Amino acid sequence: MIEVQGLRKSFGGTEVLRGVDFTAKDGEITGLIGPNGAGKTTTLRALYTVLRPDHGRALVDGHDATTARLEVQRRIGVLPDNRGLYPRLTAREHVRYFGRLHGLGGVALEGRIDRLINRLGMADFADRRSKGFSKGQTLKVALARALVHEPANVILDEPTNGLDIESSRAVRELIREIRDQGRCVLFSSHIMGEVEALCDRIIVISDGLIVADGAPEDLRQATGEVDLEDVFMATIAASEGHEAHGANETVGTDRA
Amino acid sequence: MLALFYPVIGALLLGLLVGFVGGMFRGQSHSSLTLPVKGAERAPELIAFLKAKGITVSPAPNDPRQEVRKGSADAVLVIPKGHKVDFAALRPAAVHIVVNATRLSTVIKVARVMEHVRAYDRQVGQARLADHGIAPEIATPFKIRSINVGRSRNLAGFFLNMLPPFIIFTIFVGGVYLAIDTTAGERERGSLEPLLANPVPRWAFMLGKAMATFAFTLTAVVVQLLAFKLMFEYIAAGEFGIKVNPDLMAFIAVALISLPLIGFAVALQIIVATVSSSYKETQTYLGLLPLLPSLPGMILVFVPIKAQIWMMAIPTFGQILLIGRQMRQEPTVWADIAVSVGTTSLITALLLYIAARLYNRDQMLFGG
Repeated sequence: MIEVQGLRKSFGGTEVLRGVDFTAKDGEITGLIGPNGAGKTTTLRALYTVLRPDHGRALVDGHDATTARLEVQRRIGVLPDNRGLYPRLTAREHVRYFGRLHGLGGVALEGRIDRLINRLGMADFADRRSKGFSKGQTLKVALARALVHEPANVILDEPTNGLDIESSRAVRELIREIRDQGRCVLFSSHIMGEVEALCDRIIVISDGLIVADGAPEDLRQATGEVDLEDVFMATIAASEGHEAHGANETVGTDRA
Repeated sequence: MLALFYPVIGALLLGLLVGFVGGMFRGQSHSSLTLPVKGAERAPELIAFLKAKGITVSPAPNDPRQEVRKGSADAVLVIPKGHKVDFAALRPAAVHIVVNATRLSTVIKVARVMEHVRAYDRQVGQARLADHGIAPEIATPFKIRSINVGRSRNLAGFFLNMLPPFIIFTIFVGGVYLAIDTTAGERERGSLEPLLANPVPRWAFMLGKAMATFAFTLTAVVVQLLAFKLMFEYIAAGEFGIKVNPDLMAFIAVALISLPLIGFAVALQIIVATVSSSYKETQTYLGLLPLLPSLPGMILVFVPIKAQIWMMAIPTFGQILLIGRQMRQEPTVWADIAVSVGTTSLITALLLYIAARLYNRDQMLFGG
């Protein structure tokens, strides 16, 4: 389970997160959706321990990502914004390396690697050096190394970004499978169709604040829109309109 | 593989230099020497003497000064008009040797000609004294001999002083690309973010990268020392007139003295790579880094200074002095080595602590 409480973070005087609260439950797929620069990646980074929030807490299974970094790291599998590979390692060696960093080894690790390679359809490039891999191949390697230790919580930043239809579909199937095993999946996206097809719960973030949170059906009812894309636009517009009338805060431009 | 190229360059350069310079000296002192002489007919005894000493006499060009200046002749012996008359009358008879002192390669040849002409001068002078019933020794009040107490003689000593800068440079350059690639490179490749999300303390990642860089640098230094040792063996075995070959123990001592300095260089590299904002920026900074510590070494090649114990506490400087001593086979001063190893290790530990702190910052992800 992932909980975020009153998360705030500034970069060089610009407040990117302005008090983010939400919960992603086990056995559910939670989608974090929002326009570019809304704070999706920053929120996820605070959760997967590479950024420290200025205020608030990011908790994984009750452990604070700032004060109990290692505890959190053991419980999460991460597909970060940056998913670079080492050009001289093969796909299999990447997965093995991350498995070892999680303290795995031996036959058990090799078995898991083989299963992931089959599951993600990586067999034909598993033992090739990653230099020159396509976007789809790179993503599969990055996913495999994120999942090799079978984490209870899976955090994916734009998992299908830049993938073709076939690969996107394979990734979606995998995400459902993880959910069905009772694990917690939190992923970010700006593609509405993907969120609609996958999510049990949608969290809309805009300009560093959560502007909507609920099951797709609830959001449709609340806004009176049928198409989720319209739901999204409506919630964003509502929050920005509210702000323009409200305080002297400005609507953010493109932010990290 | 390319990374091991640099450590060998130093030794190759040394070999080439010794081969060239040594060959020049040897060639000139043993091989036959051809000397153009103008007016040879005016001093037949002198010419006969020179020929007896193995010098081949050839006809002189029309304008000896011009030819020597141009370099088409190394030296020309000129017997001026009036020489024969003065010589017969027992007056000092003029003998001119036209040389070009700005051409270093002719030094040996000119010295040989001078030596033979002087020897003949002395021989004739002594014969004349004997003719007058005077013991020739009277005209030789001094018996001059210079004694060189340098352990390794003249030119060889110069080559030995070249070694410390080469070794120091390798220490600062040997693993630099690994340091950049595992920090700034990993950041730019986008592989740092997934790595840092693993359940491993950040200081452990830092130490792992530092140790890899250390191992790589140490390999480069050992390869370089081996290359130098082999080159010295080759030079000492050859007929270069340079009999200097620091023993294997000296090289092992140099490797041990270098160990803490390698740690120091690696820690500095990691820190610079961590706080720089890009691969390119890191490359620029770290490219300049080795110049600084090499400077004192470069100066020491020409101006030997008297080492004080406090100098040993300065990383790089202390090592330059100590490596130089080992190479010249001077007695080992254990206190100096202890100060050098101790302080450099301590400073390295401090730098690694700073690097670990830097790894813990949010900026680790973005650089700067």
